[in-house]
Amino acid sequence: MILEEISRNLQAGKARDVKALVQQAIDEGIPAQEILEKGLMDGMNVIGAKFSKNEVFVPEVLVAARAMNQGAQLLKPLLAEEGVKASGKVCIGTVEGDLHDIGKNLVRMMMEGKGLEVIDLGTDVSAETFVETAKNENCQIIACSALLTTTMGVMADVVKQAEAAGIRDRVKIMVGGAPVTEEFCRKIGADACTPDAATAANKALEFCLAAQ
Amino acid sequence: MAELRVTRGGAQVILPFEPGCRLSEALKAHGIDLLQPCGGRGVCGKCAVVLSGQVSPPAPAERKAGVRLACQAVLTGDAEAILPESRPLQQIEMGDAGSLQPVAPMPGRYGAAVDIGTTTVVLSLYDLQTGACLAESGMLNPQSAVAADVMGRIGAAMAGESAGLRGQVTGAVSALLSRTCAEKGIGSEQVESMVVTGNTTMLYLLTGRNPAALSRAPFEADCLFDCTAELCGRKAYLPPCMHAFVGADITCAVLSSGMCGREETALLCDVGTNGELALWKDGKLLVTSTAAGPAFEGAGISCGCGSVAGAIDRVWVENGRLGVHTIAGAKAAGVCGSGLIDAVAAALVLGEVDETGAMEEEALTLAEDVRLLPGDIRAVQLAKAAIAAGVETLLETAGIRARAVDTFYIAGGFGSHMDVRSAAAIGLFPAVLTQRARVIGNAALTGAARLLLDKSLQEQARQIAASAAHVNLGGNPRFNQHYMDRMMFEQE
Repeated sequence: MILEEISRNLQAGKARDVKALVQQAIDEGIPAQEILEKGLMDGMNVIGAKFSKNEVFVPEVLVAARAMNQGAQLLKPLLAEEGVKASGKVCIGTVEGDLHDIGKNLVRMMMEGKGLEVIDLGTDVSAETFVETAKNENCQIIACSALLTTTMGVMADVVKQAEAAGIRDRVKIMVGGAPVTEEFCRKIGADACTPDAATAANKALEFCLAAQ
Repeated sequence: MAELRVTRGGAQVILPFEPGCRLSEALKAHGIDLLQPCGGRGVCGKCAVVLSGQVSPPAPAERKAGVRLACQAVLTGDAEAILPESRPLQQIEMGDAGSLQPVAPMPGRYGAAVDIGTTTVVLSLYDLQTGACLAESGMLNPQSAVAADVMGRIGAAMAGESAGLRGQVTGAVSALLSRTCAEKGIGSEQVESMVVTGNTTMLYLLTGRNPAALSRAPFEADCLFDCTAELCGRKAYLPPCMHAFVGADITCAVLSSGMCGREETALLCDVGTNGELALWKDGKLLVTSTAAGPAFEGAGISCGCGSVAGAIDRVWVENGRLGVHTIAGAKAAGVCGSGLIDAVAAALVLGEVDETGAMEEEALTLAEDVRLLPGDIRAVQLAKAAIAAGVETLLETAGIRARAVDTFYIAGGFGSHMDVRSAAAIGLFPAVLTQRARVIGNAALTGAARLLLDKSLQEQARQIAASAAHVNLGGNPRFNQHYMDRMMFEQE
């Protein structure tokens, strides 16, 4: 079946084939949401699970995500037409003072693969920007990344400012990056610290579904 | 007090310690420093040991890695630890300046040109009257024991280890100086002048400057050197750096290549843990640095090793099968960076690895006991994509395509050993540059030697550094797009 074929090709990172197959599925009249869920997201889920188990590595995830993006581009206008809503909204970024974004991008792509709407604030993002965006865009989640031990302190500011802005009860704060530990997460009062991008996406989806 | 029995190589020692400390702390207290590139966070696995006796149950990081880690395991009573043998010193790329014309040499009868790399420190001893290169020597940078990468060392310096880091590197320079002088029967007090180049972080640590400015965005160095410092009891000129992550070593390499004096368009690339790039076009110099990671130095590769005897350094396809060459013709023990690039290129030719990087079989056998695993190919993809995307972004910023580059200078130890065609085949740089490549060895050291023998070149170095415009790759969306695209092996 074509959706399984999309999933399989996505897992293999064959962007061109994924794109062609998605177009074929659209032409066959399969609803965009079904192509997204049973084709693209299914493939990304398999990759994510393998990634969590160290069975595949960062390049495979990037290559698969690249294939997913190309397929998703074709579906975007159709999903809007069908009135499909994302299961949640996340704003994500690398904290102020830090420009490392490969990990953050991985998490973003994994979250998109779970059907979440993700606002990518980029790198060197101040605590204010995280909180302002979450407030104005009604995000359920703020996700902060840091690779430098020198910059992870900004995450504590994000938690404090979210409290001060009065949105802490409706926004979950997720933190991640190589130097970030669960102990650190607890200490600053954030909600979750996950060991890898796939687990982060699962956790984010869990938070969003619980908030519905 | 409890006792720790430590076995390393053939030697065994018994160390007293206070129960309740980590193994790494007990070892450090007795002067045994293990490599901890991750800074003791239990992430890198470099401090793996065999441990028995009264010790803590494995921490989550140890369970994940499946080994005991010196940075995680806590000693609760008498215990025994077996440490891996210390890594043999890698072959070090020396300068290829040889003898130079003494145009306007720095003061004294003898002088030394030094390149302080993150991994290795190299020194060339010169006769300042004749311009003859008398002796060369190199060693592992002793700071490697604190952290393998610059960020780890910056962190250590900011955490109060600045004096220790400084002592380690000045100690290395002194040792190399003594060794080369001893070799030539010269009293080291006769060496009055030095030119010491290196990346920006290395010069910060050498001079004991607080590297806080290098530790966070916007990564703007508060000192770019171009100054004279007192070092090991003599005057040392430290050439100008261009940026926090494009150091005096690149200024020296650019100076030595002579690329800035020519009409043509030229690209210079120093491939290492950090890949530094410089593009000269229409009288303008664009520079950048890209984090490739240590894969090309054999780190993070399952069977990876440095350029030591027994390292597979060449791999080729012969009658549809792999042929390999090892350093010193010894029995294959691992694969070094140049062999790794060759092996991946050969695997692509044989169809053992497809364009996405997936392997046909479970492993690629290079020799008995030396096999590349899927994770190794992935590590190569990450490293090569970072360099290739850096080149692409730099060319794009200058508004040119790769074919507009007339000369492609490859500098640095690793670049000098790799096969340019294999590097192009795996997509480390655009294939069109293969025919235009010029390998210039440790050009940073050569540049330092030139400065030693011609003071007037200081002005040229200053102009090079002052004219350089830095292109930021971190958080650059164009770089990120190229990075993902270049992860693949297909040639576009």
